[in-house]
Amino acid sequence: MKKFLTLLKKEIQELLTPQMLVPLLVIVVVFVFVGKIIGKETSKAKAPQAIEILDLDKSATSQQVISIIEKTNFLPNVSHSGGAEEVIAKAKEKNAKVALIIPSGFEAGIKNFQPQKMEVYTIMKNFSVMASVNSQILKAALGAINDGLSNQLLANSNPKIDPIAIKQPVLADDFVVIGEKQANISPTLVSGFITSQTTFIPIILFLVIVLASQLIATSIATEKENKTLETLLSSPISRKAVVASKLMAAGLVALLTAGVYLFGMRYYMSGITGGAIGGAAATDEASKAAIAQLGLTLSTPDYLMLGLSLFLGILAALAIAIILGSFAEDSKAAQGVVAPLMVLVLIPYILTMFLDVSSFSSGMKILIWLIPFSHPFMAAPNLLLGQTSSVWYGILYLAFFFVVFVFIAAKIFASDKIFTMKISFKKKRP
Amino acid sequence: MPNAVEVKNLSKAYGNIKAVDDISFDVAENEIFALIGPNGAGKSTTLRILATVLTLSDGGASIYGLDVRKQADKVRQIISYLPEEAGAYKNLSGISYLRFMAALFSDEKNKQKEYIDMAVLICGLGNRLKDKVKTYSKGMTRKLLLARTVMTRPRLAILDEPTSGLDVINALEIRKIVRDLSLQGMAVLLSSHNMLEIEFLSHRLAIIDKGKIHDIGTAGQLKEEYSASNLEEVFMKLTINK
Repeated sequence: MKKFLTLLKKEIQELLTPQMLVPLLVIVVVFVFVGKIIGKETSKAKAPQAIEILDLDKSATSQQVISIIEKTNFLPNVSHSGGAEEVIAKAKEKNAKVALIIPSGFEAGIKNFQPQKMEVYTIMKNFSVMASVNSQILKAALGAINDGLSNQLLANSNPKIDPIAIKQPVLADDFVVIGEKQANISPTLVSGFITSQTTFIPIILFLVIVLASQLIATSIATEKENKTLETLLSSPISRKAVVASKLMAAGLVALLTAGVYLFGMRYYMSGITGGAIGGAAATDEASKAAIAQLGLTLSTPDYLMLGLSLFLGILAALAIAIILGSFAEDSKAAQGVVAPLMVLVLIPYILTMFLDVSSFSSGMKILIWLIPFSHPFMAAPNLLLGQTSSVWYGILYLAFFFVVFVFIAAKIFASDKIFTMKISFKKKRP
Repeated sequence: MPNAVEVKNLSKAYGNIKAVDDISFDVAENEIFALIGPNGAGKSTTLRILATVLTLSDGGASIYGLDVRKQADKVRQIISYLPEEAGAYKNLSGISYLRFMAALFSDEKNKQKEYIDMAVLICGLGNRLKDKVKTYSKGMTRKLLLARTVMTRPRLAILDEPTSGLDVINALEIRKIVRDLSLQGMAVLLSSHNMLEIEFLSHRLAIIDKGKIHDIGTAGQLKEEYSASNLEEVFMKLTINK
């Protein structure tokens, strides 16, 4: 045990070099920095925005329009004379991004059932998403204006009828059914919620598997190149301890990396999703209750299963990488030999992210299930959907896969194959 | 008392290529025995088999009576091996490397200290031991590794080309270390393609080429037998005639 710990300490010391830590820290700092900037910009967009309004109608209806705009998070500055040029100049001067002109005859036109046009000027200084946020919010305000005015017109023409019954004689009441459970909620809200909860997992898992596999393969290849592996394997230590210490060190460093990435990405994502343009997000109490009713929340055992699946996924990747690394003669070749592993990770990563695996043909499904890394990628959605048994199968398969590959790795290290196996891209001598 | 090394009809094949072909020799206690021959002669393969790094294809080999294949774990406790052109872990300092290796050979703190003290004395690197190995010259690394190899006072030290690529001063220092250790009771099996060096260093030697041992004896015996003035001439006469 003492010798194993000595080996483990050495492996970690060799892996946690400044060359490895500095880029990791830089990535996190960039994530946090970008997240902060985006967060700041979105909260700026959330704050009441200045709007320049030229009201040439000066009617009760135009007042009503202005008050609706005010209610949708704008700070209107209203003038009653001038033209487009003046109102734009005023907007620029006050740093307002939107200017609006209510034409004269506005109220009379509406009362005569003639659609009225309001000129909306968006002052764009760049072409980012943020630049058009205000005009989008104003569009939503115009929707509210149209709704209010049309209700009023309908009510005026026939006070006995509910304007909503005329405008929307058919209404959709959304229900979502998951397994045996159902709830009164829109599917858009549900998928938005699930995406926001599980989006990190495949990205982090992919990054960690790629990094950890390269670490372990490079570690073996470098030891072969420097002949330190020969020294190690001629020393009085168990070869299983050598394999186990390499696996554990790479696993620990991978977990550390995952933690650091997770921290950085949460910061980054909170900057993006905390903004005013969040779109479909189930944040109100009714939606939360509906999601809980559907069982779309992870319990403690669910989290444990998810963690186990992810951890075994990483271990399985490391077990394959240790074997692939044995084929490499130097650190440069190590990057090349792990390529098949990258493909094995990339296929389920892309497929589970964009497609519904359950709708695949049986042959394709089996193929996906045979790839060990499909299981951790599918674990979170499966747990949310209550398909616990398929997550257990995945965990068992990953454990089996890991044991088999560690056994093969131990066999390679116990024989002289660790030194004699190699993939040569050079032309064979006749 | 068994010999330090006994090799009988040893062969090692990689597919159709025989790297070592039916060789036999033995090394006595306290003896410095050298395998000499050109690059690719089979020297390193033989040493790697005896160091339990490679497995043999045919024949047998033992270290102090322990079979290198069946009793590899026990063999590893009494030998120490220095591979050709070996490096150390570049991100460790010299002293950390010695501590790491000492901990692999013994769990006892006292023993580890004893090993490290000996290595510090042998390598003569002084304060440079605190620096990372990646800052060392080739000669410094070789001295550190040689010190690491012998610090545990193995009963047999297996040294593959111990002075390869070193300048005259470093090579002389390493030769002196090897000689001193032998005088203290350590058997040494080494390889070299520098035949003149071996003439002065080893007690006995075997001339190996293309996987086969052509002759074994002391430098004096071989020179006399082949009427040669040095080992290079002996080698030429042996290999060209065959």
